[in-house]
Amino acid sequence: MTSSHGAGRGAQQRGDEREPVSVERSNEANSKWLDAHYDPVANLYTFSSCTALVDLHRDGEVKLVVGDLGTGLYNMKLKVYKGTSLMTENALLDLPTGVVTFLMDQNEPRTPAVAVASGPYIYVYKNLRPYFKFTLPALDVNLLEQDVWNQARQDMIDPMTLKEMLEGIRDKADIPLSVRSLRFLMLEQEEMESFVNLHKHHPIKRQTVITCMGTLKKNMADEDAVSCLVIGTENAEVLIIDPEAFTILSKMSLPSVPAFLDVIGQYDVEFRITLACRNGSLYVLRRDSKRPKYCIELSSQPVGLVRVQKNIVVGCSEETLHAYTQKGKKLWTVYLPASITTMSLLDQKSRGFQAVMVGLANLEVHLYRDKNLLNIIRTPDVVTSVCFGRYGREDNTLIMTTKGGGLIIKILKRTAVFEEKDTSPGPPLAQGVKLSVPKKTKLYVDQTLRERENAVAMHRIFQADLYRLRLMASRAYVKALEGSVAPVSSVQQEPLQMNAVVQGIGPKFKLTLNIQNTSVNRPSIHLLISFLYDEHLYSMKNSFFKVPLLVPGLNYPIETFVDCLSDKGISDLIKVFVLREGKSAPLLTAHINMPVSEGLAAA
Amino acid sequence: MGFFDKLTGWLGLKKKEVHLLCLGLDNSGKTTIINKLKPSNAQAQDIVPTIGFSVEKFKTSSLLFTVFDMSGQGRYRNLWEHYYKEGQAIIFVTDSSDKLRMIVAKEELETLLNHPDIKHRRIPILFFANKMDLRDALSSVKVSQLLSLENIKDKPWHICASNGLTGDGLQEGVDWLQDQIQVMKT
Repeated sequence: MTSSHGAGRGAQQRGDEREPVSVERSNEANSKWLDAHYDPVANLYTFSSCTALVDLHRDGEVKLVVGDLGTGLYNMKLKVYKGTSLMTENALLDLPTGVVTFLMDQNEPRTPAVAVASGPYIYVYKNLRPYFKFTLPALDVNLLEQDVWNQARQDMIDPMTLKEMLEGIRDKADIPLSVRSLRFLMLEQEEMESFVNLHKHHPIKRQTVITCMGTLKKNMADEDAVSCLVIGTENAEVLIIDPEAFTILSKMSLPSVPAFLDVIGQYDVEFRITLACRNGSLYVLRRDSKRPKYCIELSSQPVGLVRVQKNIVVGCSEETLHAYTQKGKKLWTVYLPASITTMSLLDQKSRGFQAVMVGLANLEVHLYRDKNLLNIIRTPDVVTSVCFGRYGREDNTLIMTTKGGGLIIKILKRTAVFEEKDTSPGPPLAQGVKLSVPKKTKLYVDQTLRERENAVAMHRIFQADLYRLRLMASRAYVKALEGSVAPVSSVQQEPLQMNAVVQGIGPKFKLTLNIQNTSVNRPSIHLLISFLYDEHLYSMKNSFFKVPLLVPGLNYPIETFVDCLSDKGISDLIKVFVLREGKSAPLLTAHINMPVSEGLAAA
Repeated sequence: MGFFDKLTGWLGLKKKEVHLLCLGLDNSGKTTIINKLKPSNAQAQDIVPTIGFSVEKFKTSSLLFTVFDMSGQGRYRNLWEHYYKEGQAIIFVTDSSDKLRMIVAKEELETLLNHPDIKHRRIPILFFANKMDLRDALSSVKVSQLLSLENIKDKPWHICASNGLTGDGLQEGVDWLQDQIQVMKT
């Protein structure tokens, strides 16, 4: 707790010159997060270890339970948020060091209890009412110290002698002094007399305090199974406490004071407790071992501990993130752009996705899956606590509190998927993948050989054919132009355009010719239209008529009727010529493919 | 439409059928509202969270509505888009007291409006700012602000404050919807 606090305060002014480039920033329009709520003055000062998301009333609406540190001296509170607003608050007597929620019994309704660790006590709340107070067992008192205080009570020694004797004990004895004696030694001479008179009648006690707290399922792995409390204490011990009787089930000792802990497993089956301690080491405790099973020595002080599946991810005060297996094998290290303020797990249950969220002092929250940076969230203030899970009725909600007491709530978009991008420098992953090239067939080899031997001949044949094709195409084009068989007239004096439409199912068809003068300002006069067709198949009332004056740009539909004489279901071509008076060569020609007459031939 | 159909239509004997989509986040009150719109003898007593979707029918003075009451739970929201094509009108229900998730409702609404099956159709959208009876409920004006409804320019829309439990405000919304559908049909 204290080391996390220190890191949060200490690392403000670091620059952010080492920022990775290719990672999506949260303030972009295509962010994966929706900004649901931001209250910069929520007056909420807390750490990740003091926040919990829980369905307190079993109504499907998950609430946020926060142990608020207040100013650090006053206004410590247990706050419960519902949606965007504060629902209830209970005053706390001392600074909270951990808040967890757990089911303490099988009784219906199965409302979870809230445990708040504070000083040497665990306060248990049920339905947000105080339910039980657990006190850590008192430690052995130094007999010499007790003797000295007894003498003081009987006024056999004055405060100055008391002070000298206590100092002697402090320097030599194995068992440290009680809090009262230490406080006494700090006092100025004039205050001593009244302090002794006030306290000398009470027996001295020595008590430890709780540094961190977690939960451990008792005998079932279900979501709603009964859990034990696991606490780490200032005298370097780990206690497991029964949730119903509040007795100490197990007691284990460590070489140093634990600051963070993580628990996996079940008490009655097998469990592992991972502890990050103030001496800069990680210890792993297992069932039936009174001493740590594994020890991992870190290069600097731990400031956060998260377990992702079976791996341990630990944040260090030298701006690094390390990952270890359960047995202490190092997996990777990531160097961060700023010092860590808080860490938490992002567990997206619907996709089975887990990643580590790291709050940094440069106003960012980074999301790491393994060593890959997946997402960066920019925050308006330094984040001191991060918590991800179901809140209200929304599954993937991210709740952050800031150093200035703000509350930020973001919701992960339903469609958002975190892409596994390797942002570490080096060749891309695809470079290492081998392509599966199929074997060469005999046909392929023969063909290649033939092409290689006869390359020149093959090329010449191809070129000759290509020239011939081009020649034929241009001849046909010239012929069409000369005979004016195209439906567009290319003659400069009479630029005309025509298309023909056949309507009807037969035997009578309606033929519509759309003629347009495409010149800019020259009207066309003295034009004639003539039809050419097989007279055994079709008959037309007049197959030759005059075209009226064509005003430039307008479309002239000219209609005429054709009768099909055959009932044998055959059809033919009708040619349309547009002619100029006194000239036999047509200006333009259209070929109309007549449809088969589907009606009966005219009687 | 045949002559007989037209005649019965004029006489009000046969009603036009309209397919309606009822959308919105989970726990916003979609099923409760649809239930309240049904005739009183067909109403269900217990409303449970909808799984997938359910099809309901109810009548107004001139229309017969077939409602696809979609589930609003996150994992079922990807089903919505499969019904956009056949929907001729949309009811979008929001929980006015859930300020936290108003942004989620807005996001889902934007996805809906930008879907190719909806984007270029002029279909009426009726918004219910539901749960008006709750103490911390936002007003319908505030809800329309938070959902940025003023940005919907190419579709007729209307928002009413409602209370799905008592049925307050529902009739106003359905009347508007009926008018819109009749304007569109003629």
